[in-house]
Amino acid sequence: MAQLSVTLGRLTLRNPIVVASGTFGYAREMAAFIDFARLGAIIPKTVTRLPRAGNRPPRTVETPSGMLNAIGLDNDGIDHFIAQHLPYLRRLPTAIIANIAGKTVDEFVELAERLGAEPGLAGLELNLSCPNVSGGIDFATDPRTTSEVVRRVRAVCPLPLIAKLTPNVTDVTVIAQAAADAGADAVSLVNTFIGMAVDWRRRRPILGHVTGGLSGPAIKPLALRLVWQVARQVAVPVIGIGGITTIDDVMEFLVAGARAVQLGTVNFFDPTAAQRISGELPAALATLGATSVEQIVGTLRLNGD
Amino acid sequence: MTARDPDCVLVSAPVPGCFHGRVPILEQVQLATQTYRLRLGAPELARAIRPGQFVMLRLPQTTDPLLGRPLALYDTVLDAAGLPVGVDIVYLVVGRLTGRLPPLRAGDQLEVWGPLGNGFPDLSGTAHVGLVAGGIGQTPFLAYVRELLGDRSYGGRPARRQVQRVSLFYGVRSADRAAGVEDFRATGATVHLASDDGSLGFRGFVTQLLEQRDMPDHLVGCGPEPMLQALAELARRRGVPCHLSLETPMACGLGICFSCVVPVRTAEGWDYRRACVDGPVFRADDLLFEVPPAR
Repeated sequence: MAQLSVTLGRLTLRNPIVVASGTFGYAREMAAFIDFARLGAIIPKTVTRLPRAGNRPPRTVETPSGMLNAIGLDNDGIDHFIAQHLPYLRRLPTAIIANIAGKTVDEFVELAERLGAEPGLAGLELNLSCPNVSGGIDFATDPRTTSEVVRRVRAVCPLPLIAKLTPNVTDVTVIAQAAADAGADAVSLVNTFIGMAVDWRRRRPILGHVTGGLSGPAIKPLALRLVWQVARQVAVPVIGIGGITTIDDVMEFLVAGARAVQLGTVNFFDPTAAQRISGELPAALATLGATSVEQIVGTLRLNGD
Repeated sequence: MTARDPDCVLVSAPVPGCFHGRVPILEQVQLATQTYRLRLGAPELARAIRPGQFVMLRLPQTTDPLLGRPLALYDTVLDAAGLPVGVDIVYLVVGRLTGRLPPLRAGDQLEVWGPLGNGFPDLSGTAHVGLVAGGIGQTPFLAYVRELLGDRSYGGRPARRQVQRVSLFYGVRSADRAAGVEDFRATGATVHLASDDGSLGFRGFVTQLLEQRDMPDHLVGCGPEPMLQALAELARRRGVPCHLSLETPMACGLGICFSCVVPVRTAEGWDYRRACVDGPVFRADDLLFEVPPAR
């Protein structure tokens, strides 16, 4: 029996298959399709301090092997999250990692303090990288703001912290290093790549928000390169995200250096994928003669080695 | 956005009736220009689905097109013993996924998940129901007529006549676009047809045709947004209760992506609701149609 559990700083997960924030609702929507006990963790949709209506539709558009989204952190705010969603989530037979976004460092601190006081959470993911929110700061485009958010949240919140990073920067390793130095237990990357779709006949952008975040199989090679780069250059556990659709994709990210992965867009078009892929993991490990996930993490052999 | 418990949609794991998998095409028939009826061999879906609900459908073994497309139940298919064995979907070729469906034949497979959405309301006690369809918006109404007239059982509920009379008002661009008219006539519903160019029935909008007839006691609409807006306005003016079934850009159909939202009135003013789990059927009075200025 293969050892599937993985440890990321202070966070230990039953297996490395995590479902990404914003792609799994508040879990209850998926109860008919997924046995939650088969997942390493669930990350519910980003919660903000106040309710947000979100962006005007259309909010998504399909692109070749991918999709653009500009949802705009549509959510009912932290009070509603704690009162309506957390009681359901904390009863589920898997780890729950809340995901928060603040417009300011103080908002991050307030959200983290409140969730840190709630029972039943395994960790906290900091959404430093939502590309679709105007008025807020994209914290993870700057190592100093990244560092400040992580450090100040760490000071008030006892939960293991994951810093979710944007690929829309010149060098993501600098940001990852800043998050690690400030006390993040892990970094998760990548969030979506900013993109755009145009209806030339109407001479209009297709999305209501004009630009949106690209996700899905189309971004997998881009994400894999960034995950590999961070994993080899920064001493912090990495959670790989970006277009993962099959068990082969999972194995590629693990070998490239990810210690866990998040499945995102695949949940939209293959609602039982997370459970199925989780079940396929032991056989894939056996293919490499491995008896644990940890044995294969970052074992990529470079040409010439 | 308030995430209501979609208990009527996704019951719990792994309950029979919520299905995701590959299913065979049993047959495909062209009904009208660019319009086809696709019969899927999906007994689990057929047993559970109710009129007004939909399924997500996608091509297997490709990531382009990537996402599923929402398609309404046209009707369930029963075997010789009267047991549900399949579902019929009627689609119009509009884009990259539907454009790849017409060449598919019996035995080819599609991926499908559902049943999804809230479905049409129970209208027990209503004397006369008017179903108003435009374009490809007639497709969810065939099963609904049969349910309202007590002709067919859906979702395991016993068949029971809910209303005295059903009229279908169906408007198309031109006669060659009218799909399934004979199916509707066979149900016992009164069928009123309209076309933009006068090549079929009344020349003009289906809402204009509706105004010329006996006003039903309850209206249910499905079709292009301008038509739905005109219908909602007509219903308000005449004091007739009205439900509308919406189609919005949808990525998952499950309630997890928050793409398909529509602005609705709430106690606090307005908020977005997901058409996939809080709809696709809404009370016309709740819909705003236009997005209010940013709040």
